[in-house]
Amino acid sequence: MATATIKQFPVDVSQRSLGYNLPQLAGVRLWRPMLAMALMAFIAGTVLGIVRADEISGGGSAETIERLRHVQAGVMFAGFAAVFAAISFAIARILGQFRKSGGELQEAAGGRVVTLKMPVTAKVFLATMMMAMMALLGAVVLHFVFAADLNGSVASLELSEQRFIVLEGVRRVGVAGFLVAITFGLATIAQVLRFQAARLRELASERHND
Amino acid sequence: MSTYAIRSTLRPLAKRTDQEKASRYRVAGIAIALVGLIAAGVALVGNIVVADQTAPADTLAWTFGLSTLAFAAVKLGIATTLIGILVRLWLRVDAVKAALPELVPETSPGDPERIGEIETAYGPGTATKTAPEPLAIHKMAERMWLPMVAMGPMLVVIGFVIALVQAGETNPGTFTDLGAIVQGTQFLGEGLILAGVSFLLGTILSSLRKGGGEVQEGLGVVVKTLKMPASAKLFIGLMAAGLMVAIFQFGGYLVATGQDDPASWFAWLGPVRELGLGLLLAGIVLALYTIGTVLAFQFDRLGQIIKEGR
Repeated sequence: MATATIKQFPVDVSQRSLGYNLPQLAGVRLWRPMLAMALMAFIAGTVLGIVRADEISGGGSAETIERLRHVQAGVMFAGFAAVFAAISFAIARILGQFRKSGGELQEAAGGRVVTLKMPVTAKVFLATMMMAMMALLGAVVLHFVFAADLNGSVASLELSEQRFIVLEGVRRVGVAGFLVAITFGLATIAQVLRFQAARLRELASERHND
Repeated sequence: MSTYAIRSTLRPLAKRTDQEKASRYRVAGIAIALVGLIAAGVALVGNIVVADQTAPADTLAWTFGLSTLAFAAVKLGIATTLIGILVRLWLRVDAVKAALPELVPETSPGDPERIGEIETAYGPGTATKTAPEPLAIHKMAERMWLPMVAMGPMLVVIGFVIALVQAGETNPGTFTDLGAIVQGTQFLGEGLILAGVSFLLGTILSSLRKGGGEVQEGLGVVVKTLKMPASAKLFIGLMAAGLMVAIFQFGGYLVATGQDDPASWFAWLGPVRELGLGLLLAGIVLALYTIGTVLAFQFDRLGQIIKEGR
């Protein structure tokens, strides 16, 4: 496999299609379980919210209501982490189709296979997605830990409220981070489309000159 | 098809775009998304600063409004990047049209290709002599993405302004009522933006179908098109459900303003509004999966044309 530059694009040149790379393979395999987990968590989170509302209207204990608050937020945002991961994996799957099938198409045309090297936006996509995932899952785990840490005293309830406020901010940054990662993933698709259009025209001129 | 629908597929814009140049929508999308991330960071700092104060409600009111505004900004960045993808898709269609005649081998006429229902490795499809008509849902997506992407941010900004008013409110009852209106309005706006993103993804699917048909018809080969996959049908269902929940929660928050003790209402309305966004996001996963499947089918079909000439 050789390295070259074609029309401003750094590329790999090979005789055969390079197939999926590792993140794309993960995307192909993991989007579905992530989506299933997300849907389950959304339903569970909603049910917990209804249970908590029932506790509030029925005059339930402050400890139970506060504990349910943490658990409900934890479950719901586990769902958001999963659904954002599923979106990211689905984007990686699309990028994989371009890489694998684009190579196979060039093989079928009888030319050399030119594949775009992983763009910077794709690397930022992966890094941002992982950081956002850690922020969200960290917040989710802490919600469960803080729910277990409650003992019903006034001091414990006040501390729990403070912890919830901070975790709320962390969760929001995690969500925003995931959405930014998705933007970078989509930006990579736009870049790959641009490369493929250029390569197709080049492929035709190569054939024409043969 | 109406002029508006043609414009909203961004095909005329693609015709005016220099394919050699990098996409400005891509750059703009990333910039808008990063502004959103910074705003979410500011809201986090606000929360941390007041977490140990005895009465942080006024600060929490504006940090809530700001963080929802931040999400809207990032989603707007996503929508802008999708617009860039749509433009690039049409440029790719033009490139395929220009390149294919050089790549297709001259073949002797064999058995004529079957017209009608076909089975492909990617699901059931149709084989026709001309490009198929656009589906009703595609026409709807082409018409609806722009109004949704425009209305959503407006509601989120209105909600943010109300959140600022709420932060300065001293009457506890009015403070709570304003909080309910902020949450309902902003999350309806978020739902509309996600619906806009979903319609944009539907427009991408529509453009893939249209472009694929045009390429095959222009080459004079049988036009093979994938039928709407089950994942696309599920995408539409989840999107519709998510949008309905987003509208429902808005109504719920308005009703909550009239309650003596709205705390129990907020306790279930919060998760319900998040469920609405979750359903919309789940629909987006399936839309992206469908795009991947359609792309795989189209690459396969192009390979077949290049190898067999038909």
